Amino acid sequence: MSTMIECKKVSFSYGEENEHRKIIDQLDFSVERGSFTVILGQNGSGKSTLAKLFNGLLKPTDGTVTVDGINTRDETHELDIKRRVGMVFQNPDNQLVASIVEEDVAFGPENLGLDPSEIRRRVDEALRAVGMYEFRESTPHHLSGGQKQRIAIAGVLAMQPECIVLDEPTAMLDPKGRAEILKTVLRLNREHGITVILITHFMEEAEEADRVVVLHQGKILADGAPSAVFSQDEILHTAGLELPQTTELLVELKKNGWKVETNKIGIEDTADAVLSALHLEES
Amino acid sequence: MSAILKVDNLSYNYDGNASRTANALKNVDFEVQAGEIVGIIGHTGSGKSTLVQQLNGLLKPTSGQVLLSGKDIWEKPKEIRKIRSQVGLVFQYPEYQLFEETVYADIAFGPKNMGLSGGELDHRVREICDLVGVPESFFERSPLDLSGGEKRRVAIAGVMAMQPKIIVFDEPFAGLDPIGRSQVLKMIQDYRAAYHATVLIVSHGMEDLAVLCDRILVLNDGELVLFDTVKKVFTQAELLRSIGLEIPIIARVFEEMRERGTEVPEDIFSVQDAVSFLNSFKQGGGARA
Repeated sequence: MSTMIECKKVSFSYGEENEHRKIIDQLDFSVERGSFTVILGQNGSGKSTLAKLFNGLLKPTDGTVTVDGINTRDETHELDIKRRVGMVFQNPDNQLVASIVEEDVAFGPENLGLDPSEIRRRVDEALRAVGMYEFRESTPHHLSGGQKQRIAIAGVLAMQPECIVLDEPTAMLDPKGRAEILKTVLRLNREHGITVILITHFMEEAEEADRVVVLHQGKILADGAPSAVFSQDEILHTAGLELPQTTELLVELKKNGWKVETNKIGIEDTADAVLSALHLEES
Repeated sequence: MSAILKVDNLSYNYDGNASRTANALKNVDFEVQAGEIVGIIGHTGSGKSTLVQQLNGLLKPTSGQVLLSGKDIWEKPKEIRKIRSQVGLVFQYPEYQLFEETVYADIAFGPKNMGLSGGELDHRVREICDLVGVPESFFERSPLDLSGGEKRRVAIAGVMAMQPKIIVFDEPFAGLDPIGRSQVLKMIQDYRAAYHATVLIVSHGMEDLAVLCDRILVLNDGELVLFDTVKKVFTQAELLRSIGLEIPIIARVFEEMRERGTEVPEDIFSVQDAVSFLNSFKQGGGARA
């Protein structure tokens, strides 16, 4: 795999007078093409700032960020970077601009000055990829939060990015909406090969990721496969994160003397771990 | 016990348009007792936010009534504003509505509008800040300089400063990280304990509601489908799923264990309860059964 995004000794602070308060502090970090990375951190950990550094919405105070080899400081390539890395934010209502779903999705490609038939093709493809094709003629404000957020994702997809950065895309959604978004994002990564960076404070959303990065006060506290990171409960505690209740149950059982594996997140895996620990005690 | 709040056969259509059903309410009928904590659940568009706006007179029923201690809140329409200090409503993302120059002024805004002034007003602000942990060092700061979690707490304190006997929260935990969420949870519990208040909470967090609430009200497409104890509501997995809801995650783990042939109960909703159950289950050699 090749590198999609690379951060070298990246620091960031808002305004010169805040030089001493680094939001991002000497970060070395790279994301492989085609991977699914989850960045976890509490409010104020620097995770949203990092997201904006990834596509040049913000420029580092120190160090360099490169996207597909292009330095984000290079203003002559600003558009190349924004085309490669699409962003999805928390509030779907702030991201939708048109009064008809397909017009909203077409907004980006239209601004690229593409041929109408190419725009049509991209819009249809993007809406199919997020499972919203049948709603193409609907009005966005009649849709649910999860559906609106999927339209926002389709709008980004229509720009044919190589990488999508999602900054707490599920924070405002109900459980059903959250599940829809996670399923959509996973499919884009697995089936369409799009590099995904998902930023969240819900640990359970990291279950399917290739890699989990824990951010705290602008620095990386942990970085690895979900099961490896989630077994480090002290680090997670320091980072102000909370174990999913499934993992927490296993950790608590272990504290009570159970011989149980604790690095599980999913419902089925957790039930399995509890049951095999029960049977183990008996044999 | 007498009902502090009674919603009597309430229906509501936006724009008076009976064919527009999204977010509308149909013949909703229930009573809440003084001091209860009631959770309100339902999928997006089920009418939850519409219902809570009825409770303090922000919306007026198309038909039916909202009764506060037995009196129709719309009996004297000109005095509907008085209802708003008796039934405090904390909107979704209330921090978006902070607008004063200082934290102190923002929290004082509600009680000031109720006619309090001078020492009485000051006392009211300090009392609530003390109770919910807004430090005095915040008073002269701009609300805009606070973190997301701090802003949320200040905005909630502003509603609590009116000392409403009923306080209604619409998604109070949305967008908060775990620390912020547990702080807001504690604020709600502390307020209720200090003022013997009645609390209604709209939330998608079934896990939070399961530990916090006495009863859960379930809405689907504007109709009340269930209003019962936490235990009776969260043991109806099939019904909840059929209307786009879920049971708490620990209950789902136990459900999975049952499906694999181990007989464990349906009414375990928290990690703590699960651990104590499983400890005694193990000692009793339960898995062999």
